[in-house]
Amino acid sequence: MSETMSIEEYLRQGGVLTSPDNAPPRYRGEVLRLMASFVDSELAGAAGFADIINDAPGIKERIATARIVLEKTDHAGRVLDVMGTFGADVERYAVHHAWNARLARDADIGAARQGGDMRLSVFHYPLQGWVDAVVLNVLMGMATVIQLRELTHVSYQPLAEIFREILPREAHHTALGVEALERIVGDEGSRRAALESVGYWRPRVAASFGLAGSARYEMLKRLGLRHRPNEALLSEWQTTLDGQLAALNLN
Amino acid sequence: MARFHSLQVTEIRQDTRDAVVVTLTPQEQDRGIFDFTQGQYLTFRRSFDGEELRRSYSICSGRHEGTLRVGIKRVEGGCFSTWANEELRVGDTMEAMPPMGAFFTPIEPEAAKNYLAFAGGSGVTPILSIIKTTLASEPRSHFTLVYANRQIGSIMFREELDDLKNIYLGRLAILHVLESESQDIDLFAGRVDAEKCTALFKHWIDIEAADMAFICGPEPMMLAVAAALRGHGMRDEQIKFELFASSQPGRARRKAESVAAAERGIACEATVTLDGATRVFSMPKQGQSLLEAALENRMDAPYACKAGVCSTCRAKVLEGEAEMEVNHALEDYEVRQGYVLTCQSYPLSDRIVVSYDQ
Repeated sequence: MSETMSIEEYLRQGGVLTSPDNAPPRYRGEVLRLMASFVDSELAGAAGFADIINDAPGIKERIATARIVLEKTDHAGRVLDVMGTFGADVERYAVHHAWNARLARDADIGAARQGGDMRLSVFHYPLQGWVDAVVLNVLMGMATVIQLRELTHVSYQPLAEIFREILPREAHHTALGVEALERIVGDEGSRRAALESVGYWRPRVAASFGLAGSARYEMLKRLGLRHRPNEALLSEWQTTLDGQLAALNLN
Repeated sequence: MARFHSLQVTEIRQDTRDAVVVTLTPQEQDRGIFDFTQGQYLTFRRSFDGEELRRSYSICSGRHEGTLRVGIKRVEGGCFSTWANEELRVGDTMEAMPPMGAFFTPIEPEAAKNYLAFAGGSGVTPILSIIKTTLASEPRSHFTLVYANRQIGSIMFREELDDLKNIYLGRLAILHVLESESQDIDLFAGRVDAEKCTALFKHWIDIEAADMAFICGPEPMMLAVAAALRGHGMRDEQIKFELFASSQPGRARRKAESVAAAERGIACEATVTLDGATRVFSMPKQGQSLLEAALENRMDAPYACKAGVCSTCRAKVLEGEAEMEVNHALEDYEVRQGYVLTCQSYPLSDRIVVSYDQ
């Protein structure tokens, strides 16, 4: 065992980095991209739900939606602060984009990033009222929990620690969604509307897991920024979702 | 953005043959800024032959001590550490950013925890700060330090650690592992690797009782210790790392070559449109990105990461040509359409027309 090794080899063996000074350029680029994607998705997600507060059918639902907006924005802020340690202009970043901007409901963008931000493609589609928003929250929430759990293992320790703090709160957002959906499916008309929304959102959320056989995955794995491939995470989501939808009589 | 502040050198103590401990005093108005947390580091800057170098060194004092001290070990060929060891004098000033780093866990005065720490060489510096702060502020907690060095003469803070053992009788255990000196017990000779950890966990360290572990040292040691801790049941959130900063040769910033470029007459006339307004200015072809040139010409150009990552600084080249050094954000089709990341783009042509509005 030699006393030193290259950072690339250290990362390949599962090493952990602790400050921007340690990060080689490629690593820096990828970890920033990962953070930008998370921040933009949280901000875009929160912006979408902000409008839904007024569609909420009761006080409990209004509070739940407002809480989701608040906490997702807070999560974005925490990760943005880490971006700041890499030199990003945090203040400007937080307002540099219209986070509530959406494409048309029938736009077909696959998994492609759009415009000047890094949000997951699913956050470019507009919500259509309360039931639709609850369905997206449940479907995307379950995906977020799986994607975030993957990210709690990232090799950049300050970021991994934040993801570990965030994970239970994101899981709670999903639980709030499931509660709301349970009430929605009690009424046959709403249940049918929910079923239609599931049909709309399911492929779009699935696309957020990225491409199967991704070439970027291998590179990210070498850097310790990913540990399980896109298809494994997607498959876990499909299975968990099938169980949840069956329990809600939405299959 | 973090700023640099002046600190006065008020004491320099030779700790080992090639390491000094430097006491620094902030200016009155900066005292709050330098109120550090145990385990944090300071980033210094200094110009050597016209080139700015930045180096980070860990704070070795405890929070309760009321002083700011860093340990600086001379690295072979290291410009900054050699200067600090040989030329730095009491009364000099050093420029540092506010304390940074997250190599700590919150202090809980009521807690009765068992902490482990693994230090290699000067990696002990932040760990000393953590040990002192924790023993002083968590009276019921215990610390065990496994400290790897080449030989007795290279052990940093040897006396101070011995004193701490006496002050906090029974609460601090130190296991020295020396690489090139024979020891009475074989266990304490050689390197701290996976095998050594397993042996230590068998007879000397109750790994199951450990609440938290701190590791700071060279990469192979960090990997070996982390793997051994995980193998003995510790979870990721119970292991705190600090990559041995002084083993990382810092990267010098890309040198600005604008003067040389102008002398060689290889400037570019840039026409940049932003928010409907167009400005024309001259910029060097090398040493300054399109984004930096726009900002310098007081254009409020959007940017975020400046690493070619977030694509916030995206603009379209309408005429002329630019070379993008790094692109982690734009898709191929966008590049074909003429989009560039301005933070990464340098003009190749004598004239370039760029728009942030498209």
